Amino acid sequence: MKRSMLRGFALAGVLVLTAAACTGGGGDGDEGNGPVTITVLDYYGEATPFSKDVIDRFEADHPDIKVKYEAGDWDTMHEKFTVRVSGGDSPDVATMDMTWIPTFASKQIFADLSDLSGGQLNGSAIEDHYQPGAIEAMTFDGHYVTMMFDFDAYGLYYRADQFEAKGIDVPTTWDEFRDAAKKLAEDTDGDGVCDKYCFEVYGNDCFHWCQLLFQAGGSILNEDNTAAAFNSPAGLKSLEFYKSFIDDGSGIYWGDAQGEPIRGIKDERLGMFLDGPYYMGLLKSGAPDLKGKWAVAPPPVDVEPGSYLGGTGLSIPVNAPHPDQAWTFIQYMLEQQQQVGVFTLAGAAPATTAALQSPELTKPDPYFGGEAPFGVFKDSMATATHFPYVEQWDPIDTDIGNMVQSVMLGKATPQEALDTYEAKVNEELAG
Amino acid sequence: MLPAYVLIAPAILSAIVFLYVPIAYSGFWSFTEYSGLGTAKWVGLANYRDLLADEDFLKALWNTVLFVLIGMGIGPVLGFLSALLLNQAVRFRAFFRAAYFLPVMTSLVVVASIWKVLLNDQGIINQIFSLFQLPTRTWLDDTTTALPAVAVTSIWQGFGFETVVFLAALQAIPRDYYDAAKVDGASYWQQVRHITLPSLRPTIMFVYIIGIIGSFQVFDQIFVMTSGGPINSTRTLVFDLFERFNQLELGQASAVAYFLLVILASLSYIQIFLFERGRR
Repeated sequence: MKRSMLRGFALAGVLVLTAAACTGGGGDGDEGNGPVTITVLDYYGEATPFSKDVIDRFEADHPDIKVKYEAGDWDTMHEKFTVRVSGGDSPDVATMDMTWIPTFASKQIFADLSDLSGGQLNGSAIEDHYQPGAIEAMTFDGHYVTMMFDFDAYGLYYRADQFEAKGIDVPTTWDEFRDAAKKLAEDTDGDGVCDKYCFEVYGNDCFHWCQLLFQAGGSILNEDNTAAAFNSPAGLKSLEFYKSFIDDGSGIYWGDAQGEPIRGIKDERLGMFLDGPYYMGLLKSGAPDLKGKWAVAPPPVDVEPGSYLGGTGLSIPVNAPHPDQAWTFIQYMLEQQQQVGVFTLAGAAPATTAALQSPELTKPDPYFGGEAPFGVFKDSMATATHFPYVEQWDPIDTDIGNMVQSVMLGKATPQEALDTYEAKVNEELAG
Repeated sequence: MLPAYVLIAPAILSAIVFLYVPIAYSGFWSFTEYSGLGTAKWVGLANYRDLLADEDFLKALWNTVLFVLIGMGIGPVLGFLSALLLNQAVRFRAFFRAAYFLPVMTSLVVVASIWKVLLNDQGIINQIFSLFQLPTRTWLDDTTTALPAVAVTSIWQGFGFETVVFLAALQAIPRDYYDAAKVDGASYWQQVRHITLPSLRPTIMFVYIIGIIGSFQVFDQIFVMTSGGPINSTRTLVFDLFERFNQLELGQASAVAYFLLVILASLSYIQIFLFERGRR
């Protein structure tokens, strides 16, 4: 009698321990009793548009919805999101880098926002709120998979004080670009390699080189995304152009070993670089003592203006616990005040047309010598192209990055690299 | 008997839940195409076939073998030599022992982050090199030096483990053997060759088996220092698995995991067989 009782208790104890160990998240399935809690996961880091004030105001306006805000960071967001969604612990709203949209959307990870919204955003048609390029970027397979929240298109950041001191004009064409870089760069130790005020040749991704490809009139993939199209005269010209900065000593290769570009800006190794609006915020917080020395201009043009179009979208995973409330929150974040907050709080560029026209964004900025650089990015956005929306975009993105890197590191000539990686990308698309 | 079962039950249960069940699931997924969401589509051996034809996977396999060769070629030797040194009546022996072992106890991510800064273009390693007129390189941005640089970081972090293991084994060797050898006129290195090394045989086998299994799974340093680059020159098997997981190719990632399992199991058996045979 005593033995079987002991056995019974032991078994019960072990089962309780196991049950306790196994219950993970999902503790708020409180349908119908009290407020619903939605989980919002973002990657902005410290300077986030999802500030406490913004969230508090939302909760005050919507007493039936509570927001559990989780601060992530851009570096780990992709993995975190993947793990949570596949593990069944999806957030309700997540910030998505627009370049991740092809991979996730093609695996049907996102809820159909066309369905969920009924085509309406804050009282009018979704199309009324965005420029055509953004509308296209938010669409996958005929429906909306994300709502663009901030946009990314490139402008030319340059050391205005050095330009003035050395009598350099702001370049508008590729030839003027090379000249400006040569005049700007300084080789302080005479070893033929640029040491100060160099042009940043960011050599291991598609973001930076691909816009040069677009400016030369080229494209990454063909019309129906079935084959690589970058092995073209435009591809060759743009690769050679990019490499020429390193070869003639006016550019510095920037890869992982150099660390964050802001370090190069601080110690003045960099004098010119192409990047997005969020760099305005990074400059102010990372290099405050260079206030008044930097300015932004439209990127120099070859055949036509071109930039990549990226940014952040707000998406709802297909297995989110509370999609309707999540959509309410997204609409709130796309209201004018929150969109302007994208700029004032995070130093990034809001995506809605109304916010882009807000006077907040065109105020003179003392950091940039009293100019308002925002207009430059807005213009870039108008001629920007988003990356191809194919299922295999992730590996293709990596391949293109490797291609650029192999040329910049001198491991292959531009034509060799184009040939090798055209074959690789075609293989990806076929298989 | 029952209290014994009750005591081991939590460990067994957690092993089942966190180890055996996932291993089984992963094995199943390796024969499917699965994004983690929705249903898994059966594809048979397609994942395994595709991996063997995938340049990235093959490069990962090759890089991993290179890494293991460098790491296991140098690490245990350093461990053994430092153990020999520590086995003598050196002053502050306890301090040195702790010093050698401290990196082992430090988080690999922390060590890798620090070394990434040291190996930076303007990092202290390049500065020291230029001080001695040695050529400086962009260690982590050069396809020829990136993997060796990561290997050096790993060796620095890990050889203290071998030091401690060898030291313990050295101290278990009876002094009488050495005394007898000295009487016979053996030199120090002769003693090492004929007494120390044979006595350490089981320890050496242990160090190599554990070391190879660990080295094959290198990930933390790659993730922190190079992200598999430049141009896949530091892409290792587990990093390859990680990338595939991120691309929502769970079937392929699982197949990589099983390839790794087969490789490690085979290597372990081969090593045990060789050591056992050598003993006779």
